Amino acid sequence: MIHLFIFLPLLGSLLMGLFPRQWRDEVAVAVTLLTLGLGVALWASGGTGLFSVPWVEALGITYSVQLSGVSLVLALVTAFMTFVAVLYGRQRVENPWVMLALVLSMETGLLGIFAARDLVLFYVFFEDALLPALLMLAMFGGPSRMRALVKFAAYTLLGSLLMLLSIIGVKWLGDSPTFALADLVQHPVTGPAQTWLYLGFLAAMAVKLPLWPMHAWLPDFHEQNHASGVPDVMGTLYKVGGYGLFTFALPLFPDASLELRPVLMGLAAFTALYAAWIAFRQTEWKRLLAYAGLSHMGFVALGVFSMNETAVIGAMYLLAFQNLYTGALFLGVGMLQERVGSLDTRVGGVMTQAGALGGLTMALWFASIAVPGLAGFVGEFSVLLGAYQVSPWLAFVAGLTTIAAAAYALNAFQTTFWGGRPHGAVNVRDLRGAEWPVLALPLAVALFFGVYSAPALNLIQPAVRGVLSAVGGN
Amino acid sequence: MLTVPDVALAPLLPILIVLAGALCSTLLGFWLPRRTLTFVNLAALVLSGVGMVTLWNGAESSFAGGLRADNAALLLGLTILVGSALTLLVSLDTAYRARVSFPEFDAMLMYAVTGCLLIAFSGDLIVMLIGLEIMSLSGYVLATLQQSRRAEEAGLKYFLLGAVGSAILIYGIALLYGATGSLTYAGIAERASGLTPANLGILVAGALLLLSGFGFKVALAPFHQWTPDVYGGAPTSVSLFLSTVVKVAAFAGLLRVFGGALADAPGWQPVLQILTAATLIVGNLAALFQTNFKRMLAYSAVAHTGFLALTLLGQPDLGGAALSYYLLVYTFMTAAALAIVAALQRGEEGMEISDLRGLYHRHPAYAVALAVCLASLAGLPPFAGFFGKYLAFQAAFQNGYVGLSVLAALSSVAALVYYLRPGMLLFMPDRTPAREYAHGQRPATTLALAVCLAGITVLGILPNLWYGWGANPDIWRVLAGR
Repeated sequence: MIHLFIFLPLLGSLLMGLFPRQWRDEVAVAVTLLTLGLGVALWASGGTGLFSVPWVEALGITYSVQLSGVSLVLALVTAFMTFVAVLYGRQRVENPWVMLALVLSMETGLLGIFAARDLVLFYVFFEDALLPALLMLAMFGGPSRMRALVKFAAYTLLGSLLMLLSIIGVKWLGDSPTFALADLVQHPVTGPAQTWLYLGFLAAMAVKLPLWPMHAWLPDFHEQNHASGVPDVMGTLYKVGGYGLFTFALPLFPDASLELRPVLMGLAAFTALYAAWIAFRQTEWKRLLAYAGLSHMGFVALGVFSMNETAVIGAMYLLAFQNLYTGALFLGVGMLQERVGSLDTRVGGVMTQAGALGGLTMALWFASIAVPGLAGFVGEFSVLLGAYQVSPWLAFVAGLTTIAAAAYALNAFQTTFWGGRPHGAVNVRDLRGAEWPVLALPLAVALFFGVYSAPALNLIQPAVRGVLSAVGGN
Repeated sequence: MLTVPDVALAPLLPILIVLAGALCSTLLGFWLPRRTLTFVNLAALVLSGVGMVTLWNGAESSFAGGLRADNAALLLGLTILVGSALTLLVSLDTAYRARVSFPEFDAMLMYAVTGCLLIAFSGDLIVMLIGLEIMSLSGYVLATLQQSRRAEEAGLKYFLLGAVGSAILIYGIALLYGATGSLTYAGIAERASGLTPANLGILVAGALLLLSGFGFKVALAPFHQWTPDVYGGAPTSVSLFLSTVVKVAAFAGLLRVFGGALADAPGWQPVLQILTAATLIVGNLAALFQTNFKRMLAYSAVAHTGFLALTLLGQPDLGGAALSYYLLVYTFMTAAALAIVAALQRGEEGMEISDLRGLYHRHPAYAVALAVCLASLAGLPPFAGFFGKYLAFQAAFQNGYVGLSVLAALSSVAALVYYLRPGMLLFMPDRTPAREYAHGQRPATTLALAVCLAGITVLGILPNLWYGWGANPDIWRVLAGR
């Protein structure tokens, strides 16, 4: 069933062209819904064990997949947000089936990333998620997309090629028979070589995460994407860096992680604060959201790098649910753009005519800036709590971000939704039809997991404990 | 006392079949139309391939080891045949427009293939040299066949520089013979390890001259300067042939000489390392600044030479396997990309990169096919180019060339940018009129493309289908025939 769960979206996107044109959107919705259903069924049956068969035997590459713990949570959120994005995309994008097909094929890449337990397989899925993202940007992007494209691709590939070298190095220097994670962990690399390999791995993850100073592709990528926000939803799911660090880097490079911990934590805390500060100055919704996401990812990185149990749990929690509200906010921005015709934050007075849109957006922003009772709070608070035990000062610096976040979010929200409606402005209609569930469903989930976090924590906690006990962190 | 030479026909058979095709084209060209001959030649290639498959694991040799049909030869030979068949298929549709549609084109092509196979099957330096010369001379003619200033210039450049390369190569062979007293790979390999210092100097000098000579043929920097002009100036189907088949053959020779005969000889590895680094940098950076798509592909071929050379720096058992896989994949990718250029170009100078804008909306199938080729050339999974690059990295990395591997990774980023730009332009909206050659039937090109795309995807998802054959290290330990 796990294989079906991973490859069903890809299959759907390949077969979509066979259906008559008017049915293709429905097919996409059905496929994502079915995928989500499969995911929930997997969850209900308690995740899956490790499935491993040789893939390229001569090279020691295996097809090893497993969905449990953290990876299951992330995969479920991915499947859920893909469904939401497709729901919105089909009515918002002109001639949508090509984009929906790309969304579906990207979903397979993302689910594969979370399921992979073999480093080469992980790399393959990692790159496979890249291709549809590039195509979406190329086909539906804004006027200066070429620059964004080249920047995005160059950063990503620079990182991932260095990671590939690290992967080869880990297997070869550790003398492991295969690239499967379990084998590699049993044949560790020690000494200075481990640090170098960790840095190679980090190069890829820091780009994806992204971590300052490897973040420059992010704002351009989001700004130039299609205004509906559908590609951005997939883009936010793209932040697999935190997950990769947790699942692969910590078990494979424990000594190096410990050795570089202060530097990396500092970098992460700086990223969080720096991004929040830049976000405050943005006047374009998508760039603002991009920097807000970057700030969240700084938190995630802080949690992972601190190697403290509470913090890592918080980081994974944040990583999973940040997708929900940031993704939904991107879609909300798409709705706003459809109504007022621009992404500028200085519109003014939208609330008077589109109350539901404003209200839902505001609630989602609350989730994003970690207001208690919403999912973001659980994550950010745990990260700070854990990081404080490792490095109080860095936790303090990162903690300042929460204040900055409130400032940029409320400021932007206020200039767009409150204030006077300018003279001669177009009439703005409120939410209708499928737009309601598109914003309300993610909010409901964020609210649920903000109040009752046990179902997710039950999955995340044992996984984190397992990793950290093997690593020897505190 | 006259001794009868040891002539076994079985290992010669694949080469003889191809030669028969060439002779047919030469003679029957007076009576039969060219297209018929092309089909005859395609059949000859298929027969030759069948012959090779039946020889698998036979390890037969002829002329006292001068010609060896061992598994390494067969793997590389099959790759040569694939590239040649693709060239013939593409030429069915485009040779007429390129004004090279006469039987001599086919004849020359088949002679060149004969030479290529001789190199792959060679067991001593003389057979290798004969093959190389047959291949090169036919190549010069092919590049000039079209009556145009550009083609003549390309051919002349190719001839002059190729002749210099051959001269250096022959001089290197002479020095090797002087140092070791043997011309067979096995003999050289045997004697290379126990030489007096004076002879060792001659051996190293000979090895370096051979390396430069081969450097001309495979376009290693700084011997690559003819490549963009020749690939860009020759008719596109000829560029396709030169950049795939001829390169495969030259690499087969390199592998035989440096992976086999000179595997234990000192001195050439550091030089090859420097040449590889230079090739990676020059090829990738120069491709970044091209505006003509065909020229860009020419520079990308130079860049791929760098990756291919990386495999030569690995241990022969890993490097040889990597090389055989990469060469086949490279043939598919490059042939497909150039086939699309050949099908869509208006003139033989190819098309500008900006002309590709919006191709998806005019010719969706070609655009998707080209995008797949570009993704594979850039080394993105799940396409086969990824495993090619991976294997090349692995071979060099595991032999201790970590710095070079990192450099290769960095230069790949430049590669990604220049493959990405046309790749993404294909899918961007465009409202200006089409700039492609819109007429004509292209069934043969379509077939060739289908083969290439199937190869790129299937070998990317299941690399074992081909790599499983080549992964056996025993194949590559006997490169010199020991």
